[in-house]
Amino acid sequence: MKSLFKIGIVLGVAASVTSCFNSSKPNYQYFPNMYEGVSYETYQESDAFPNDKEAQLPPANTIKRGWLPYDYENTTEGYDLAKVNLHSPLDSVNMEADMAKGKELFTIYCAICHGDKGDGNGTLVEREKFLGVPNYADRDISEGSVYHVIYYGLNSMGSYAVQLNEKERWQVAEYVMSLKTKLSK
Amino acid sequence: MASHYEAPIREPLVTGDKTYHDVTVDVAAPVEGRANKQWWIVFSIALVAFLWGLGCIIYTVSTGIGVWGLNKTVGWAWDITNFVWWVGIGHAGTLISAVLLLFRQKWRMAINRSAEAMTIFSVVQAGLFPIIHMGRPWLAYWVLPIPNQFGSLWVNFNSPLLWDVFAISTYLSVSLVFWWTGLLPDFAMLRDRAVKPFQKKIYSLLSFGWSGRAKDWQRFEEVSLVLAGLATPLVLSVHTIVSFDFATSVIPGWHSTIFPPYFVAGAIFSGFAMVLTLLIIMRKVSNLENYITIVHIENMNKVILLTGGVVSVAYITEFFIGWYSGTNYEDYTYMSIGAATGPYWWAFWALIICNFIVPQTLWVKKLRTNYMWSFIVSIVINIGMWFERFDIIVIDLSKGHLPSSWTMFSPTFIDIGVFIGTIGFFFVLFLLYARTFPVIAQAEVKTILKSSGEKYKKLRDGNHE
Repeated sequence: MKSLFKIGIVLGVAASVTSCFNSSKPNYQYFPNMYEGVSYETYQESDAFPNDKEAQLPPANTIKRGWLPYDYENTTEGYDLAKVNLHSPLDSVNMEADMAKGKELFTIYCAICHGDKGDGNGTLVEREKFLGVPNYADRDISEGSVYHVIYYGLNSMGSYAVQLNEKERWQVAEYVMSLKTKLSK
Repeated sequence: MASHYEAPIREPLVTGDKTYHDVTVDVAAPVEGRANKQWWIVFSIALVAFLWGLGCIIYTVSTGIGVWGLNKTVGWAWDITNFVWWVGIGHAGTLISAVLLLFRQKWRMAINRSAEAMTIFSVVQAGLFPIIHMGRPWLAYWVLPIPNQFGSLWVNFNSPLLWDVFAISTYLSVSLVFWWTGLLPDFAMLRDRAVKPFQKKIYSLLSFGWSGRAKDWQRFEEVSLVLAGLATPLVLSVHTIVSFDFATSVIPGWHSTIFPPYFVAGAIFSGFAMVLTLLIIMRKVSNLENYITIVHIENMNKVILLTGGVVSVAYITEFFIGWYSGTNYEDYTYMSIGAATGPYWWAFWALIICNFIVPQTLWVKKLRTNYMWSFIVSIVINIGMWFERFDIIVIDLSKGHLPSSWTMFSPTFIDIGVFIGTIGFFFVLFLLYARTFPVIAQAEVKTILKSSGEKYKKLRDGNHE
């Protein structure tokens, strides 16, 4: 009995020592020597910057290596020009792989509204979260205009230039055109 | 008496006409009496030194190793020097209690208790250094192979520094158990003599209910013998492992196969010197002149002479091999012409004079049976053995393979403060021990009283005539 009591005390102490953490807060740390970075990490907050964000905007009109600005303006004229003049730089030899990639990206970023087939019946439309997503078959679009719309957005649709890089935008644009062909049959 | 034969040539180990009761009274006297003024003065000095060292340790750990004089080339200096020095000192205790027990040396009985206490206390000092010389001592528990949440990340068993952990911790625990089992009958004696209830309570706890029955004694003897048998290879292996810290490296001067036996010999050499230092004082202040006699001192001096000889032969060997190897790099090792004439010439010559020359005076019987000279030599040896470790570590590191990395080392006051602190801590422990523990294994001394006591020897010799 006496030894049971002692075991109970030991277990009690062990439990009280180990149970003191709050699951809604980060746990206690033992000597966090290199847990917090000395350098700036990408999305961290920092008083060193005007808006307390580590991620600062680059200066206007600068061009980084491996990137070119998009020349068409975000206007109706720009849209019309892009529709006519802008053509895919993707290599037709590699079309199958680009198309597969385009499908993958389309399914991630576009299909939620436009539908897997591009018929305007995405999950959000079916659930009637919002309406008015057009069917590609009903629209007069070219690969250039699709690219332009992905870049800038159009009416209710926002820009996807942040999510997709230039090559990916073209892959999606080509895939959209292939969907339009299928829908128009 | 006729049934007993001891060679008349053997000198008595207990002088004065001591009876069993006298032994008890003499051993218990320091424990039962009150500390005198001198004890308090010495204790205070030791305590201040200890606290100062503690401050230096806290400062080091909280500020960083950079407060020491180490640099990028010389990454080990006073820390490991002191570590090896203290471990070495700790070796005499176990040698006296274990090896001399195996060789049935009766003269060990008057000195083994204090020698073992010295072992325990100096291993404690040594044990501080591996921790405090770490950059992140709070992660020291990572040296232990404990199952953990890093995918059960373990230690690498190839490092002699890890072997050190096992060696030192095993050595300390075995020594402690060996010491304590030996203390049981003596604590029981103090318990039975105690008049104050508090003292009685304390010694009752410490003596584990020892009642001295025949079966207890039989097992006690067996345990002592087994522990002595275990402790002997431990003595040899622990300092061997410490020597592996250096011998397994590729540093010129460190990479040497002679290190294991040579370090062990050096450890016994310095350990016996420290025992002498302590006991020459203790026999006076604790009135134990009849138990720690000149025979004991002379015997210890002979062990010192032997181990000092082994160490000297090792120096000559190192010096010879340095030349014989034909390796340019051996020109600057701690045992080389380069060391003798280089910037650390004083450390080299301090080693030669303290370990090589001065102890040789003990060949002269007049000097080795002289308390004062023994005391001086013992101090000199401890200084010399400190320099031996300093020379091995610092001289060899300061001039390595690449001349662009050659540098000097000089300690800061923190380095020195930590060392002084460990000396203070050692004496704090030893002084407390001397006033609370039976400093002579009275139970053992009583077993040789009738064979080696002066009174009984005289009686026997009288019968022969």
